[in-house]
Amino acid sequence: MSEKILEVKDLVVQFNTDRGVITAVNGVNLEVYKGKTLGVVGESGSGKSVTALSVMGLIPSPPGKIASGSILYRGEELTTIEQTDMRKIRGNKISMIFQEPMTSLNPVFTVGNQIEEVLKLHQRELSKVERKKKAIEMLTLVGIPSPEQRVKEYPHQLSGGMRQRVMIAMALSCEPDILIADEPTTALDVTIQAQILELMKKLQKDLGMAIIFITHDLGVVAETCDDVAVMYCGKIVERGDVKTIFKSPQHPYTIGLLHSIPAYDSTTGEQKGRLTTIEGMVPSLFDLPKGCSFQDRCGYASDRCRSEEPSLDDVGNGHGVSCFTPVQK
Amino acid sequence: MNIYVYTIRRSLYVIPILLGVSMMIFFLFNFISGDPTSILLGPHATAVQMAELRQELGLDRAWYFQYWDIVKSAFTFDFGRSWTTKQQISSMLSSGAIPSMTVSIPAFIISTVLSISIALLISFFRGGWLDKTVVFVCVTMMSISSLAYILFSQWFFAFKLGWFEISGYENGFPDFVPYVLLPILIWVMMTIGPNVRFFRTVMLDEVYQDYVRTARSKGLSEYYILFKHVLKNAMIPIITYVVIQIPFLILGALLTESFFGIPGLGSMTLDAINGNDFPVIKAMTILTAVAYIIFSLITDVLYTVVDPRVRLK
Amino acid sequence: MGNITKSKSLWSHAWSSLTADRMALISMVIIGTYTLIAVLGGLDLIASDWAKEVGPSYAAPSWDNLLGTDIFGRSVVAKVIKGTEIAMSIGLFTAIVSTVIGVFLGSIAGYYGGKVDEVIVWFYTTFASIPGIMKLVAISFILGKGLFAIYLALGLSNWVHLCRLVRGEVIRHKDREYVQAATAIGGGNFRKLFKHILPNVFHIVIIQFSLQFQTAIKSEVILSYLGLGAQSVPSWGTMINDSKLELARDVWWQLSAATAAMLIVVLAFNILGDALRDALDPKLKGK
Repeated sequence: MSEKILEVKDLVVQFNTDRGVITAVNGVNLEVYKGKTLGVVGESGSGKSVTALSVMGLIPSPPGKIASGSILYRGEELTTIEQTDMRKIRGNKISMIFQEPMTSLNPVFTVGNQIEEVLKLHQRELSKVERKKKAIEMLTLVGIPSPEQRVKEYPHQLSGGMRQRVMIAMALSCEPDILIADEPTTALDVTIQAQILELMKKLQKDLGMAIIFITHDLGVVAETCDDVAVMYCGKIVERGDVKTIFKSPQHPYTIGLLHSIPAYDSTTGEQKGRLTTIEGMVPSLFDLPKGCSFQDRCGYASDRCRSEEPSLDDVGNGHGVSCFTPVQK
Repeated sequence: MNIYVYTIRRSLYVIPILLGVSMMIFFLFNFISGDPTSILLGPHATAVQMAELRQELGLDRAWYFQYWDIVKSAFTFDFGRSWTTKQQISSMLSSGAIPSMTVSIPAFIISTVLSISIALLISFFRGGWLDKTVVFVCVTMMSISSLAYILFSQWFFAFKLGWFEISGYENGFPDFVPYVLLPILIWVMMTIGPNVRFFRTVMLDEVYQDYVRTARSKGLSEYYILFKHVLKNAMIPIITYVVIQIPFLILGALLTESFFGIPGLGSMTLDAINGNDFPVIKAMTILTAVAYIIFSLITDVLYTVVDPRVRLK
Repeated sequence: MGNITKSKSLWSHAWSSLTADRMALISMVIIGTYTLIAVLGGLDLIASDWAKEVGPSYAAPSWDNLLGTDIFGRSVVAKVIKGTEIAMSIGLFTAIVSTVIGVFLGSIAGYYGGKVDEVIVWFYTTFASIPGIMKLVAISFILGKGLFAIYLALGLSNWVHLCRLVRGEVIRHKDREYVQAATAIGGGNFRKLFKHILPNVFHIVIIQFSLQFQTAIKSEVILSYLGLGAQSVPSWGTMINDSKLELARDVWWQLSAATAAMLIVVLAFNILGDALRDALDPKLKGK
């Protein structure tokens, strides 16, 4: 097994709001390995983005704070690290790309300027000319045509897909250990989406970084990830390697998610089975039910589910399920 | 389309506005405000006297001649003579401009720079006690009548404490300096509240944008993000806001000038208003309106220069 | 319909966030108190004897005359109270005049577009090019003196900003699905404008109304200085203006009393205006 570079342990993140304190992330454990991709899956509000921002040290505070738990990056504790030291890691060892390629770049600076800015910060040894060269190299690497021209352009002159490529170039320009991708393809067309995913896979192979891939789209997970963690209401409800999760999921929520994506027969290309949706709505974090958070939408819920909270137990081979009534095939 | 073509096109739009402004001025000052001769000659004037005066002032000519005078004056700056002082208005304007500018220009610059600095500072500590306190002080300062600022400051700082000259003016640098200090201070006090609030809003609009999150994820410091990323974006509305104030500097510090005996365009305008000196009021209105139109044009053109997103259509 | 329930929840949410905001609550209480004083003054129930001589000329504040007296020995307290009536009426009627003009022209320009829009935009651009004080002077000159002239002069010179905002908002709303749905079920233009679009721009009107209100109260001082203010009744503006002759004798109480009376209510309107914007303007949500 490859080297473990990031470990999130019992992470709890809370936000103070007008209506009281909400716990957006509630006891999450994650492990990230060199060169591997971890998919974090869940609906909006499941706490997946907050988990990612915690790793980056970018939880807006106030109102948010990491209430307890630890985030270890190569043995270094990130939850208590000095801001100045964290800034040396951010964008350098751990980078992030976001869901909104249209607005994530600063509109009044050129693309080149924004890439060079990261280099200037983290690779002080580079001269101005070298930075410029590196910016062009990075644009070439992410497959942007005529990069010498593009570095001089402003974000609004590029399409959404191109902007996301620029974001990737920026995030990877210091060859980070970990790239956190928060729904990087959600805002893009399907064909562009496929290109970006392909690009990320290729770059991972070339640069050997780990990727934390945050998405609500299990189809994307199947294509890109090695390991998967499924989140619901701030907790991980099921985790395991991608094959296990897709072949033998046990948590009713994971199964529900899998049924809501189209599956295709690999030989005929025809859609298999019927698409279903998960009944009901995600409960509000302000008033979570006692016991399992998924009880109201679950077909298997028992009295125990309504009184006791299940814990994430290992069922073998690193496959963990947080459910009293796991579904066995 | 390039910037030059845009500038020319935008300039053409000035024509209907100029036409509108001249019509409005004619309408307000020549047409409905009635016969000014009774005001000038008093209630006991004879009909003959009034007729003579009307002829002397050119009020007996057809309305389109009078209208044409207004349009013409916007280009020739020939506004005729004052009814009260009998001087050429153009020479009154040129002698009043310098004293006005010795107050308005330094005051405008100090107020703008100070407000932007304060706004940057409190955006950095947004939501904290400093931010809340400064905003509250700003709103309080905005809620005080401008006349009260002048009266209080003149009485307290100049009359009671003797820190500044109470009134008066001398031409030439540095002789005018002691006379303009308190008027400048008053101007800054009157304008800093709304300025800081506007600049703060503009900066906070930017602080919550996605690109700021990206900048943080790169590892840049908050300080650097505020000064480089946020300020450059905020500069677009800030420049618009600042440039569009410049034409009103012509009017000078209306009340302040008059209270401190500064012989500028502001006190000249107030005197004209008090004395029903229509040609002077008209001249100042035309001047300010034309300046406003020109600076709106400049603002629009600047906007396309500063903001790379503006695609010229 | 969707938009009605949406706007209902917007209002109830706005109300709950307003009442949760302590400063906004205090401001509403202050404005309420001033309104009450103004109404009681208007009914001659309080301060009706403001013109009575209650002490010597320019008596300093004391237990007999809390805020001192003016040149004629009249009570400054009574004048401030009577002045409240003038100030609040100027605020209210000016805000009504400018709101009616601004909303009318703004919604027509935004809704009909085309030539109508061009003419209205041209008109207000022209209007905005003339400095405010000149418009005030010219309109006051035409209308003569008196309170009615003040309402109109201030109202007529202050509608452009609201007009711009309403026009922009109507343009944003008119192509929305619910308006098109109204067209589909055969709604007339006016019905559409009043029933479906205006409720959605109403929050802007409310915010601007509170801002217009306090601007008018402040502008009255300038009008008084120019001799165009309230005649033969005490107003805060005339009190402040009168004090220019009093300060040389160290008579500071009339200026202070009128300034403070104005400061408190204008500040309350400013804070309420901000709170309203926070509560009603969805663009600022979450900040």
